[in-house]
Amino acid sequence: MEALDLTKRPKSKLALKPEWADVCFTCGTCASGCPVTGVDGWDPRKAVRAALLGLEQELVDSRWPWICTICGRCEYMCPQGVNLMALIRYARTLRERDKVPGVLHKGVAMCLERGNNLGIPETDYLFLLADLSKEMEEGTVETEHGEEYPPYPGFYCPVDKEGANIIVTINSKEPMGEPEDMMFWWRIFYAAKESWTVPKQNWEGVLWGLFTGDDDALKEQCRRIIENARKVGAKTILYPE
Amino acid sequence: MSVFELLKEYIETGRIKLDKSKYEGKKITIHDPCNYHRKSFMSFGQHFLDECRWVTAQCCPEIVEMEPHGMNGLCCGAGGGAWASPYVQERIDYGKWKADQIKATGTDLICAPCHNCRDQIMKSLTKEFDIPQRTYYIWELVSDCVIMEPWSEEEVKKSHEERDKQYERDDIDLDEEY
Ligand code: SF4
Ligand code: SF4
Repeated sequence: MEALDLTKRPKSKLALKPEWADVCFTCGTCASGCPVTGVDGWDPRKAVRAALLGLEQELVDSRWPWICTICGRCEYMCPQGVNLMALIRYARTLRERDKVPGVLHKGVAMCLERGNNLGIPETDYLFLLADLSKEMEEGTVETEHGEEYPPYPGFYCPVDKEGANIIVTINSKEPMGEPEDMMFWWRIFYAAKESWTVPKQNWEGVLWGLFTGDDDALKEQCRRIIENARKVGAKTILYPE
Repeated sequence: MSVFELLKEYIETGRIKLDKSKYEGKKITIHDPCNYHRKSFMSFGQHFLDECRWVTAQCCPEIVEMEPHGMNGLCCGAGGGAWASPYVQERIDYGKWKADQIKATGTDLICAPCHNCRDQIMKSLTKEFDIPQRTYYIWELVSDCVIMEPWSEEEVKKSHEERDKQYERDDIDLDEEY
C-alpha cells in the first residue's frame, strides 16, 4: 500500500462541511455502537476518515453506505456532534443514478413521473378505494389473519375532499398488495367521525429520494404533498409511514 | 402531526373509545423506529417515546421493553431503504440484533409503528429467526380495540350524498366494472 501524502490531499468531495468530518477526533464511539461495523471492512469512523483523507471515492463505490441504514445511533452518541448521517447520505448522492442499488432510484423516477413509486394508475387507485369502501360498509372484509369486522354504515373513503381537516398520504405497497391494511386507519376515522381525505393524485407517502440521497426529488415530493393539502384546505397532513 | 399525537388526542378526548379486553392478559414489546423517535428528536427536538408508550398501554398495558430501547434503540435493519435493497443477506444479518432483542422480551405481541420496520420484523425476521410473536402497527392495535358505534341515519345519508358526488366527479361506477 502506498502512503498518503497528506500535505497534497485534494479538497474532499464528500466532507462538505467541517461538522461532517473535520471535527471528528477518532474516538470510535460511533463504530462501537454501529450494527454494521465490520461489514466489508467498513465502519462509521472509517467512513469519516475516508472522507477526510481523499479516499472518499472508495466509500462511494462501496456497498457500505447502502448497508448502513442511516439509523442515527452513531450520530446520537458522537461526542463531537459529527453529522454522520448527512455524510453517509451524501456518499449515496455521489453514486451515479444508474448505479443506485436495486429498485430505489427506479421508484423515485416512477414517483416523479406518475405520482407513486409503483406506477399505479389513477383509475385503478380510485376504483380500489371505492371497492374497499363498499366492502367495509357492508362488513364483508376478508383479512389475512381471519379477523371479522362488522359493517360500517355510511363509510366511504373521501378523495380530495374540500375542507377536510386531515389529509393522509398512502404507502403504495398497500393499494398494491395489502389493501385491507388501509382500513386500520379508516376504522379509527369512522369512530372518531373525523373529516379526512386522501389525495387524488401524488398520494405517495414513501419518499425514496430520502434514501437515494436525491434532494431534488425529495423536495419535489414534499412540495406535492403540501400542494395537495393546500388544494383541499387541510390543516393537518398525516403521514403514517 | 405525528401518528402518536393524533391517536393520543382521539383517545384522551374520548373521540374514540377502546375495548380494553381485547388484549387482556397479553404482554407487548415496542420497537422504536429510528425515524419516529431518535431522528425526529435530532431534527425537530421531539421524540414521541412517551406518547407511543401511552397509546400502546391503552390497548395492552403490560409493556416489556427491549434493551436497549428508545433513543438508543436498535434499528430493525431495514431502514434507509434497505428493505428495498438488493443486499438481502446484509439486511437479515443486521436484523438479527433486533430479532434477538424481541425474543428476549418473551412477550405475546410486538408493536412496530412504522411500515418499513413492521415489514422487516413481520415478513422477514419472524421467519428467519423463528420469532414467536405477532407484529402489529400501533394504529392496528388501536383500530382493533376501537368500539364501533354505527352512525345515525342522518349521518349515513349525508355521507352517501357526499360519496355519490365524489364518485360522479371521479367517474366511478362500481356496478359497471363488476
Ligand atoms: S463518534 Fe464522532 S468523534 Fe468519535 S470517531 Fe465517530 S465521528 Fe469521530
Ligand atoms: S447510521 Fe449507519 S453508520 Fe451510524 S450506527 Fe446506524 S448503521 Fe451504523
